[in-house]
Amino acid sequence: MTLKKLLLATTAIAMLAGLAAPAMAQTTLRLVSKDLLSTNPDDMKEIEAIEAALKAQGVDVDIQTVDLPGGTSAYVEALGIMLLSGDIPDIMYFQGGDQKMADQGILEDLTPYIEASANVKAALWPHNVDRLANYPYLLYIYPPRAPQPVIRQDWLEKLGLEAPKTVEEYEALFQAIHDADLDGDGTAGNTLGLTGFGNTGELDSIFNQAFGVTGTWMKNADGQWVNARVTDAEKAKIEFYARLAEKGLFDKEYVTNTFDVKEDKFYTGKAGVVFGSSPEVIDIYAGKMRQAHPGEDIFLTLLPIPSGPGGRGLAAVDVSKESRGWAISSLSEHKEEAFKVLDFMASKEGQDIDRLGFEGTQYTRNDSGQVVFNDAISTWYARFFNAANWTPPTPLLSPTAQEALDTIKANFVADNAFVWPAEFAADVDATEQVYRSWVAKFITGEAGLDQWDAFVAEYNAAGGERMAEHARTVLGE
Amino acid sequence: MAEPIEGRVAVSSNGNVPTRDTHARNVGRESVSRLLPSSATLRAQVRQWWPYYAMMAPGLIFFIIWHYVPIWEAKMAFEQVRIIPPNIWVGLKNFQVLFSSPIFYQVLANTLIISGMKILFVFPVPIIVALLLNEIRSGKLRGTLQSAIYLPHFLSWVVISGVFIALLSPTDGAVNQIQTALGFQPVSYMTNTGTIRWVLVISEIWRSAGWDSLLYLAAIFAIDPQLYEAAEMDGANRWQKIWHVTIPGIVPTIATLFILNMGMFLSADLNQVINMQNDVNASTIDILDTYVYRLGLSTGEYALATAAGLFKAVIGMILVVTSHLVSKRLTGKGVW
Repeated sequence: MTLKKLLLATTAIAMLAGLAAPAMAQTTLRLVSKDLLSTNPDDMKEIEAIEAALKAQGVDVDIQTVDLPGGTSAYVEALGIMLLSGDIPDIMYFQGGDQKMADQGILEDLTPYIEASANVKAALWPHNVDRLANYPYLLYIYPPRAPQPVIRQDWLEKLGLEAPKTVEEYEALFQAIHDADLDGDGTAGNTLGLTGFGNTGELDSIFNQAFGVTGTWMKNADGQWVNARVTDAEKAKIEFYARLAEKGLFDKEYVTNTFDVKEDKFYTGKAGVVFGSSPEVIDIYAGKMRQAHPGEDIFLTLLPIPSGPGGRGLAAVDVSKESRGWAISSLSEHKEEAFKVLDFMASKEGQDIDRLGFEGTQYTRNDSGQVVFNDAISTWYARFFNAANWTPPTPLLSPTAQEALDTIKANFVADNAFVWPAEFAADVDATEQVYRSWVAKFITGEAGLDQWDAFVAEYNAAGGERMAEHARTVLGE
Repeated sequence: MAEPIEGRVAVSSNGNVPTRDTHARNVGRESVSRLLPSSATLRAQVRQWWPYYAMMAPGLIFFIIWHYVPIWEAKMAFEQVRIIPPNIWVGLKNFQVLFSSPIFYQVLANTLIISGMKILFVFPVPIIVALLLNEIRSGKLRGTLQSAIYLPHFLSWVVISGVFIALLSPTDGAVNQIQTALGFQPVSYMTNTGTIRWVLVISEIWRSAGWDSLLYLAAIFAIDPQLYEAAEMDGANRWQKIWHVTIPGIVPTIATLFILNMGMFLSADLNQVINMQNDVNASTIDILDTYVYRLGLSTGEYALATAAGLFKAVIGMILVVTSHLVSKRLTGKGVW
């Protein structure tokens, strides 16, 4: 009897051990991201698909997502506090606050991993390569964000104007929008040529180069590096913005507008031109515009980059570091596996999951096997990457958005901004505040351009001079 | 002083009738000294009153964990925070960084001005609201009005700022439309450095005056009705009753809330300011909290943020103690 029990027990233990063996080979990876939450079924479905695909490649990982509050600022705060408390996941998505962690050695240098990678290296955009060379802790494979202006195609046709190619032609277009009764409310002169939100960052995207603001740091008449914000080129640009605002062509309320207010003004015909921050956003605008005007077949037209007294091009892209992206903990015991996840997401198979969604949900296949997207694709978004070398089986972007992406690719210019040492944090903050405050005052008419020298003096006193001295040591002759 | 004999009113040697407060305090003192438990009786008392101790425990534990234990971590203000311990002691370096910032003094001045305006213009409003509500004779009307003015308290600053931005828009805001109809020029209140602080004050009043009046209303209801009857017999009119009975009756509440408000003097309401802030008005309403949020929390400079928090706490404590002493001297009431 006792022997029988012993045999039974031994058999049971052996069976349990057999069952446990595969589980023990599995690597658990903790991942924290603003856009991957256990409460979102789509997110979990993607995670399961990634795990299954990796397992088929012989990489058995269990990806456990860490839920943090949504919203950028809440996420940044919560992530910082979590890391500070010593809870450091293997894979982390940062949207700010990463530099402090990198300074403390918490983030893994990704250079050797990328060099040896099967997919990431080939998926990088040119600016990613530059940013990783300067700051090898964050990986964010996306085209650079370069806002570009769009207008309703039917409005442009009604005005009988060509798409503007110079700064003057832009002003003429805004004036024409303003003067015409394009929204059909019976009153001419109540439509803004252009609206925006928060600051002038969107406008700078196409007007910086036109006015000769070629980068963050420019050489003055004495051949010394100075911040572009205190140059004559910048003054000319701000003068142009202020003139547009004074004539009622540019929305003076841009400073109080939120992004949804900006969009609303566009959809309701209160403004003729807005900037889309990325090709995907331009398609969202087009979709929302059609929703706001059911029955009307409205398309958006991308307006070209204008030439001006200083040249032509998109604003120089800051390549000092990624401002957001994926990092791997240097304390992780599974760094190799963690990078394999990121590498997989940059592969064709990973991109197919991340960009297209799931067959039967976001798309179907027709008889010839071609991918046909359905309505659910409009709410699907990439959680990881937008690889430079991936081509969708069916175009994901509209011709207008694709044109915007092509423009970004063709006009990439690297900026000369660099990462500031921690001791300059207060100066960077102070000068940013002074600049933004004065620019908004110039444009809204609270201050006149004759006060430009007062702005420059305040900017330099707020830390601008000290920062310029440091820049000269970094940038050399 | 002997305990008052039931059915009589005790009169002090100077002939004054003691107030309910002083009576209760005197009785309280005697009772406390008489009832202070010896170690021998403590256990028996705990056994007798344990349900009350049990009910008090969660609150007590909450305060210990979330309010007292973190005080120790304020030492972070003097350290360089390391995720991999130990932190490095840097003395006053974080304070030096904070105070040496080119815009710190502008931010501090903004904070003092906005807080000062709020104390001057916002603090008295709930008192006035409570006095006015108390004068409404119809209970139904009073209840309806109370509910209506409490409502804004439950709205977030995100919503309220949206409402104010829309209301004050120079192009299609209701306020400017009325102004224009009356022949005045429209004003961009949200982007005007001369008006934005008043927007903060008015929106604060709109949001909190009704809710904050609750405490004063409760204090008014606690005033002995006999005092009003006595005043009426003396021929006091409504205004005189407010002036000589109601207001003196709520002075302790006013003093206490004023002192507590002083403790929060350097916190000019982060949520409100951050939602109302824009590029034009930032230099006028950039306060310590927004500065610390921007420079400290959003970039992970927690030691810097703690240093600023500690600075605020020390100033707040000084203000509380000073206001308490001043209040004690002027009104005989304080928070302890």
